[in-house]
Amino acid sequence: MTKTVDNRSEQHDNDVQKLLLATADKLFSKHADKQTLEDVASGNFPTPLKNSLVEHGFHRLAEENSGFDLGDVFAVLRVAGYHALPFPLAEWILANRYLDNADEEFSTIGRLQDKRITAAPWARDASQYLGVTPQGQVYKISASQWQRDESIAGEARDSASIEDKTAINTADNLFELLALSRCALAVGAMTRLLELVIEQVTVREQFGRPLARFQAIQHDIAAMAGEVAAASKAQEGAAAQLATQRQEDEIAVACARVFEATRATSESAHQLFGAMGFTQEHTLHHFTRRLWAWREDYGNERYWQEILGRNICARGPDNLWPFLASDR
Amino acid sequence: MLNFDPVALPQSSEQLRPVIRAFIADNLPEGRRNSDFTSGHDTSFSEALGAAGWIGMTVPKRYGGSERGYFDRYIVTEELLAAGMPVAAHWITDRQTAPLLMSHGTEAQRERFLPGICAGTVFFSIGMSEPNAGSDLAAIQTKAQAVEGGWRVNGTKLWTTGAHLNHYLMTLVRTAPASSNRHAGMSQLIIDLSSDGVEVRPIVSMTGQGEFNEVVLNDVFVPTDALVGNEGDGWQQVTSELGYERSGPERFLSTFRVFQELVNLVGVSPTAEQAAAVGRIGSQLMSLRRLSLSVAGMLQADKSPNIEAAMVKDLGTRFEKLSLEIARLAAPAEGDRTAFDQALNDSLLLSPSFTLRGGTSEILRGMIARGLGLR
Repeated sequence: MTKTVDNRSEQHDNDVQKLLLATADKLFSKHADKQTLEDVASGNFPTPLKNSLVEHGFHRLAEENSGFDLGDVFAVLRVAGYHALPFPLAEWILANRYLDNADEEFSTIGRLQDKRITAAPWARDASQYLGVTPQGQVYKISASQWQRDESIAGEARDSASIEDKTAINTADNLFELLALSRCALAVGAMTRLLELVIEQVTVREQFGRPLARFQAIQHDIAAMAGEVAAASKAQEGAAAQLATQRQEDEIAVACARVFEATRATSESAHQLFGAMGFTQEHTLHHFTRRLWAWREDYGNERYWQEILGRNICARGPDNLWPFLASDR
Repeated sequence: MLNFDPVALPQSSEQLRPVIRAFIADNLPEGRRNSDFTSGHDTSFSEALGAAGWIGMTVPKRYGGSERGYFDRYIVTEELLAAGMPVAAHWITDRQTAPLLMSHGTEAQRERFLPGICAGTVFFSIGMSEPNAGSDLAAIQTKAQAVEGGWRVNGTKLWTTGAHLNHYLMTLVRTAPASSNRHAGMSQLIIDLSSDGVEVRPIVSMTGQGEFNEVVLNDVFVPTDALVGNEGDGWQQVTSELGYERSGPERFLSTFRVFQELVNLVGVSPTAEQAAAVGRIGSQLMSLRRLSLSVAGMLQADKSPNIEAAMVKDLGTRFEKLSLEIARLAAPAEGDRTAFDQALNDSLLLSPSFTLRGGTSEILRGMIARGLGLR
């Protein structure tokens, strides 16, 4: 009896998530157009995109009683990465999770270092700011003199001296959640890179035949597909272990594996698109440059390898295999 | 695009884990252990494992199996490999021959062979490769000529693991000459390795061990009832085994003892560099295990994830090699390195075979490319 009810509710959740992702796909596809991507890279905040996100309620996805959970949020972020959505959706959704007075105005999150908040996307256009420490604590920040900068992807990310800060009480580790957001975005973008590359080599002909007919190219793409599959599974595993005692380890696994995959996938994609993919005109760099930005935002693969390695070693050699072979 | 269904091992299967761990603790071999499935040929261990019900786990009880699912088998096999138990004697028979007999064998063949296989006392080798048919398996020339009551078989099989120790050879032969359809005209025959005309010549590998062989078949008589499946369907039967052969934990755990010894060696307070090495190996291994489990789930659901399995093997075997490099470069120069060095050297010597056996990386990537629509 209980089981039947559980199955039905799980099925219901799956259907709801499918609908959410279909909506996200349609919306992001429409708004992550070439013009918007280029405008954002020129330093213009994408207000129409922001308004559209509000209209569909994406900014409140992680609030209590939203009807969605963090698993849904990370699934949506994959879709955002797939479209290279030129908007700090992860920051906005997560900021609204902790702000009592969350509204339709854009809020952002940056890293707290000493008395500064750094790398806060579009802080110059935000109404409220949160800061996160490497330990994951969350603070509401007062700051005014924003120093403008941009990421390697050309997206705004600003820094300021902190004027005041107030701790926010939460059981979440926000640093880890933001790190996982980068994994989800990166998996989406790498999935897209693979599709773009397959399309490119099927259409593009040299020496009288499509590039896809060359074995060297087939093998390169097969290896690329393997990286994407492994990264995707690692990220999926972490998203399924949130709020369990394995959260930190699973997020470390995801970040270590996903960010390691960004090198080979972005390198292969650029190699296979040739000189065309190196132009400003081509869309490829909107994906690859974002990958290069995301993998550094909240700890790169080396950072998370070390955390995972320390945890594994601290448990002692006899617990190595039991840890690796456990899903719970 | 490729599809890896999400999967977690069912709780009912997890209940097996403490049981197999206790069995392993009671049966730990003396001396060096190795997680490679071709290392450690010990028929008495296989027999003990069979008696405990852990060979032929998916085979129905009426044939001597324990009638469990693929997830249960997955847990037992990964635990055995991680512990470095001597599984070589029965490994291929359990992995390939038992499911092949269940899917294509005759009732008489199942009754005759499966009880011994499940008991860990009957062992098969796989006769596929030949001197002129390595990656290009359809080029096999071993010929089965129809005669009264069966076939006369002539040809040479190569790289035949365990043929000098095993009882039978599951042999891919040509029962009809090659035609414009290269994949037609092949069949699988069970050849008794003690038959007249069978000559087994051991080949010593660079590890110094003689685990594989050249098997010369000279006018070997094979009776009609030794045909597995349908005459002419050999290629389809062989390729349908690939999902089982390529996606299991033996495709990413071959070097696990080296990882274990690295963790032993660096201790509970590693340097940053050592910790990162441990974390890098761990993150790759856990991601691969999830991909591999996903394929086990698809097999359990009667799907044919051959492309996904090819990807697990390509990724997994490349990881096995990479893990040795990471461990080698991170290991501290000081401290008692005896166990680490032994494990590392044993694995390094085997490592060239990781990306060759069971389908080379080149063949696998060709399959993946076809799955992606590039061929």
